[in-house]
Amino acid sequence: MVSEALSFILQLLIFPGFLFIICLAFFSEWVLRKFVARIQNRMGPTYTGSGGILQPFADFIKLLGKEDIVPAFAERTYFTLTPLLCLTLPLTALFILPMTGHRALISFEGDLIFLAFIFTTLTIMVFLGGFLSGSVFSMVGGVRAATQLLGYEIPFLLALFGPAIPASSLSISKISTWQAQNNAWGLWTQPIGFGVLVICLLAELELLPFDIPEAETEIVAGWNVEFTGRRLALVRLGRDVELVLASTILADLYLGGPQQVWIIPPIIIFLAKMFACLLLIGYLKTLFARFRIDQVLSGMWKYVIPAAMIQFIILKLIW
Amino acid sequence: MAFAREALRNIFKKPVTEKYPFERREPAEGFRGRPVWDMKKCIGCGTCVRVCPVKAVEMIGRGREATIKHHLERCIYCGQCAESCPVKAITMTPEYELSDTDKSKMLHVYERK
Amino acid sequence: MSGSTIKVIIGPQHPALKEPERFILETEGEYVVDVKVRIGYIHRGIEKAMENRTYLQGLYLSERVCGICSDAHTTCYVQGVEELLGVEPPPRSRFIRVVVAELERIHSHLLWLGIAAHEIGFDTLFMYVWRDREIVMDLLEIVSGNRVHYATNTIGGVRRDLNDEKIHKILKGLKTLEDRAKEYLKMIQKEQTVLKRTVNVGILSKSDAIKYGAVGPTVRASGVKRDVRADDPYAAYDEIPFNVIVEDGCDCLARIMVRSREVLESIHIIREALKRMPGGEIRVRVKPRIPPAEALSRVEAPRGELLYYIRSNGTDKPERCKIRTPTLANIPSLCKMLVGGYIADVPIVLAGIDPCFACMDRVLVIDREKREAKVWTLDMLRRYGREWYRKR
Ligand code: SF4
Ligand code: SF4
Repeated sequence: MVSEALSFILQLLIFPGFLFIICLAFFSEWVLRKFVARIQNRMGPTYTGSGGILQPFADFIKLLGKEDIVPAFAERTYFTLTPLLCLTLPLTALFILPMTGHRALISFEGDLIFLAFIFTTLTIMVFLGGFLSGSVFSMVGGVRAATQLLGYEIPFLLALFGPAIPASSLSISKISTWQAQNNAWGLWTQPIGFGVLVICLLAELELLPFDIPEAETEIVAGWNVEFTGRRLALVRLGRDVELVLASTILADLYLGGPQQVWIIPPIIIFLAKMFACLLLIGYLKTLFARFRIDQVLSGMWKYVIPAAMIQFIILKLIW
Repeated sequence: MAFAREALRNIFKKPVTEKYPFERREPAEGFRGRPVWDMKKCIGCGTCVRVCPVKAVEMIGRGREATIKHHLERCIYCGQCAESCPVKAITMTPEYELSDTDKSKMLHVYERK
Repeated sequence: MSGSTIKVIIGPQHPALKEPERFILETEGEYVVDVKVRIGYIHRGIEKAMENRTYLQGLYLSERVCGICSDAHTTCYVQGVEELLGVEPPPRSRFIRVVVAELERIHSHLLWLGIAAHEIGFDTLFMYVWRDREIVMDLLEIVSGNRVHYATNTIGGVRRDLNDEKIHKILKGLKTLEDRAKEYLKMIQKEQTVLKRTVNVGILSKSDAIKYGAVGPTVRASGVKRDVRADDPYAAYDEIPFNVIVEDGCDCLARIMVRSREVLESIHIIREALKRMPGGEIRVRVKPRIPPAEALSRVEAPRGELLYYIRSNGTDKPERCKIRTPTLANIPSLCKMLVGGYIADVPIVLAGIDPCFACMDRVLVIDREKREAKVWTLDMLRRYGREWYRKR
């Protein structure tokens, strides 16, 4: 009993829990930066570590040491809470996603709903944090984040719950296990859903063409313009974890998640799938100009929501 | 998605950025870098002092005895001194890494042997 | 209306502006309802400094008014001084001036294209365009020795000649550049997200463009055929056939198209100029002192009409030198374009006129009541300053 509890704590803290995820987050940021740089004919980080692999970590450490300023007009509670939640919410979400084997660290029937809940909370946190930091730019950024949520939330949820139908379960672990066992990856059985989910994840992660809430050239850094020092470090780490989260969701819900192939352990397979999704996100991010907020809303309602609905109807007809 | 192909093509190309302090590029022919005075040729006419738009050249004494001081931190590398010198005593060298935190290193004094 | 508006302040420090200038936007939600512009943050006193330098030294100062259109400034300046002196630069030098000016136009337009892409968040295009801009930078380096301040013009001609080897290199570089420019032109027109952000954004109608006196690519994108190179040819432009590029879109896309097509047209002009270039001298010697006279000189800088007014008084220094840069001429139209648009469109519209604030900032006081602009002399400024402080 004691040893079981101990092993659970170890799992939670080290592998595949906290430490592993944080390392993975830093590594993903590096991969993404290098990849985008290559597409753009640049070098990307080169200085820290071999090939600049430690650069995200170095950035984090540097930010920790910087001065921490709370603007006089900011609402202190939310200003402190937002960066913390920015990191902890996606981290929690990763605990319920299977990475090493068929079962996630914490898994229960209905954890898919919990995942959806976390995503919405995250955006609302962003909105509150931006709105209450007391700067015009962050206010506009916060409002934009909330407005954007109106556009992508419905297709996002539809695409998120799509894979649950064939597997007839609301547990992420069961869905990915079902897909792996039946060799019916979501990508093949419901390709439109996959596309919708990728688009919505780009919007959720505030990546191009949906980086409207933090559009650098328009509103400086949007909702996170007032965060400095430790808070900014947490926000940025939170971003990286979110990146891992997004690729993991794609890998688990649409690519069958961790599965044993021949003698290759599931974790390797999982990482391969996850990084494939990460590169896909990175590739898409470089191809577009930024939309305007009204264009996102109308585009989402005109094209993406109908697409998600059609996918849902097709699924219902087949299963 | 018009850039999809171009982007894919570039993933496998070498970056165009140069790793500057480690890889240096040769300046082009006719590059105007640090001007250097050849005091064997100079006749101390003072033309370079007069034409310099930023007063980067200073002359102490006159005629063939004169010493020339060149203030690198003021020089804008226009090359007018080299062009105006009647005996072509000034050449624009291709040296370009000329900044320094020590101001005394920015002063070049040309004395006659 | 005023109760529900939020003031969004762009500048003097803002990532969309590479130079300090202030725009106060009255916004309602995401809409801009009013704009106030405050200029003058980087006034550098160049015109005054000109008066304390000889004509030759002033040449290098005028080159440093702007780091991007440095050649346009020197061309305009030397033309003014040559007019005062009554000398004609030799024909070969005039062709060399055209070659450098057009190379500079290509570099400036490509630079602008990259910035415009960056403003709408399209960093990949930004990187690609700037990568290929290096080709023309290298060409300029071959021609003049340096990348930014070419120092090619001098009073009475040019300082450096072109030989066959250089001409060959230029032609080779232009070929690659042309292919790339054509490719980008095609891709930009096809990329939906770019179109979404630029079509019908920052409208400046033809009548408004004329009314507010817009210049350069800004006015040409509103369907007005206005180009100093064709209207009042200088250097060797009267001996080279070329088209004035005009677009009728009146929006940001039209501004992008005008500049991209002008890149191709410039390539054509350079080829023609190199083909028709006569032999002979490249400069004539001139006297340092200039008898009292006045001269007004205009050139088409990459951003539009650039104007120099120089007055001599018999010494070797000008008595007055007035510079009017294209950005200043475009500011009234800019305000017109911004009102009624989205906040999100402000950067691209701002970038649309290719602003260069450092070269624009001079002592210019716009009297709001009397609606007139006047240039203040140092004395007037001093008096004004004294009075202003007394009143406080
Ligand atoms: S112009 Fe030439 S000769 Fe005259 S002082 Fe200068 S270096 Fe000497
Ligand atoms: S290069 Fe120009 S600035 Fe430098 S010393 Fe010579 S004349 Fe003066």
